[in-house]
Amino acid sequence: MSETSRSLASAINDARPRVVAALAVHCRSLDLAEDAFAESATKCLQQATLPDSVAAWLMTTSKRWIVDTIRRQQTEVRVIEDAERTADMSAELLKFPEPIEDERLRLIFICCHPAIATETRVALALKVICGLPVAEIARVFLTSETTMFQRITRAKRKVAEAGISFELPPRQAWGERLEAVLLTLELGFTVAYQDAGGERSQIDGANAGDEVARLAALVAELMPQESEALGLAALIYLAKSRLPARIDGEGAMVPLSEQDPNLWDYAAIEQARVWLDSAVSIGYTGPYQIMASIQLTHARRGFGQVTDWDAIIRLYDALIKLRPGPIVSLNRAVALSKVNGAQAGLNALEEIDLTKLQTALPYHVARADLLAQLGRLDEARIAYTHALDLDPPGAERLLLERKRVSLGLG
Amino acid sequence: MQYMLMIHESEDAYSGDDGAAVMEATLAGHMKLIEKLNADGVEFSGNRLREAHTATTLRYEGAGKAAVHDGPFAETHEELGGYYIVEAADLDAAIEWARMIPIPGKGAVEIRPVWPDEDM
Repeated sequence: MSETSRSLASAINDARPRVVAALAVHCRSLDLAEDAFAESATKCLQQATLPDSVAAWLMTTSKRWIVDTIRRQQTEVRVIEDAERTADMSAELLKFPEPIEDERLRLIFICCHPAIATETRVALALKVICGLPVAEIARVFLTSETTMFQRITRAKRKVAEAGISFELPPRQAWGERLEAVLLTLELGFTVAYQDAGGERSQIDGANAGDEVARLAALVAELMPQESEALGLAALIYLAKSRLPARIDGEGAMVPLSEQDPNLWDYAAIEQARVWLDSAVSIGYTGPYQIMASIQLTHARRGFGQVTDWDAIIRLYDALIKLRPGPIVSLNRAVALSKVNGAQAGLNALEEIDLTKLQTALPYHVARADLLAQLGRLDEARIAYTHALDLDPPGAERLLLERKRVSLGLG
Repeated sequence: MQYMLMIHESEDAYSGDDGAAVMEATLAGHMKLIEKLNADGVEFSGNRLREAHTATTLRYEGAGKAAVHDGPFAETHEELGGYYIVEAADLDAAIEWARMIPIPGKGAVEIRPVWPDEDM
């Protein structure tokens, strides 16, 4: 790929959320909008001279394609009316590249509608808004391409047939809907980032984690008055900032406390800090904000400071009040061990409701680490084996195997 | 679009010591909803169904042969107790109407778009 066509490809990618959103809202169909965008993107890449505004060019070409396609079909009166609406799309839509914020926001609200199954929303958003191929989305969610294709198709049919609105919901309904949007992004982020080596999601430089980060940044940019949208974007950017330090030369995961801070992405950390500062000024503190604050506290190590574990424990205490759960308690127990020692951490760990944690990888890893620190090597070895039996992603597997070996043969 | 709002509620809610009061409160909730539908000029219909113990089910095991059974088609804790059909602009509007349906105790309201005539 030449430099020009690479930058054209990235300009097309940048224009995608805005153009697909405008098309979908105006022709009332996710499928038509996506197909039209794909057609015009292909045509755009074949152009001898670069259009002045890639977004405007894509928009015009896509609109023409939609009108032609619908004329060809001419099956339903309702669709033809939509076509007329499409043809009527006013000149204001062509004033690219000024952002038409509402269009993108609408598309996010459609893809993340609470009436779509939680685990499918993020797939639909990655497909429609980010244009990720189904094969890659399937890889991220550890499922087959066929299954993922069916899920996305079902979600699109639900949008069309159940009458999910293409209108922007009234502002007073944003709160509840925003929760679904943020949960969608959080789920996408968790799935994409737990695969530290990216072996299950990386193809041709396109990474699902990056796309989720782009979406989160978009939501933060579109809803700067929502502190939790800012909090989640900050949380995701802090995770993103550590990606270059997360894997060592042999492909094994590097735990946060052992990462080389020189490898962190300081532009991402700075962006996260700016978002968190704005969130604080809004005055409402939610769980994402606290989770991001915990990660920002860890990031201070990159500025020559030691990790403030007392502050981290206090933040976990606050998080437990807002969003209690065994994994939060687990992380608090680990933080406690840094201040009061491994035995205190282990005691706190044993107090958590184990029924929910028996199949949780982080539980067995944390327990093994604490047992190893206490010199209870046989028990630590068994705990690492339990963790490995839960089939962690490759990079984490390597790390855990290394830890188990370091305990000796017993 | 038309949506059917199917009300699945636990009949037990109406059978306790305060059953009559619960029934009264629920009916009042329905009246409030109907008043609002009328006030907003929304086209709607709906009915309350007799209890599940009055249900008779034709059960097909294939080949078009039906056996008549006593009881509702599925044994669940919540039974279909009634329904509304409302005209609504979109799913969110239908959900708003569904939220106004009073459900004493546990239950569910299933919201289904009615297949439009022209697509049959």
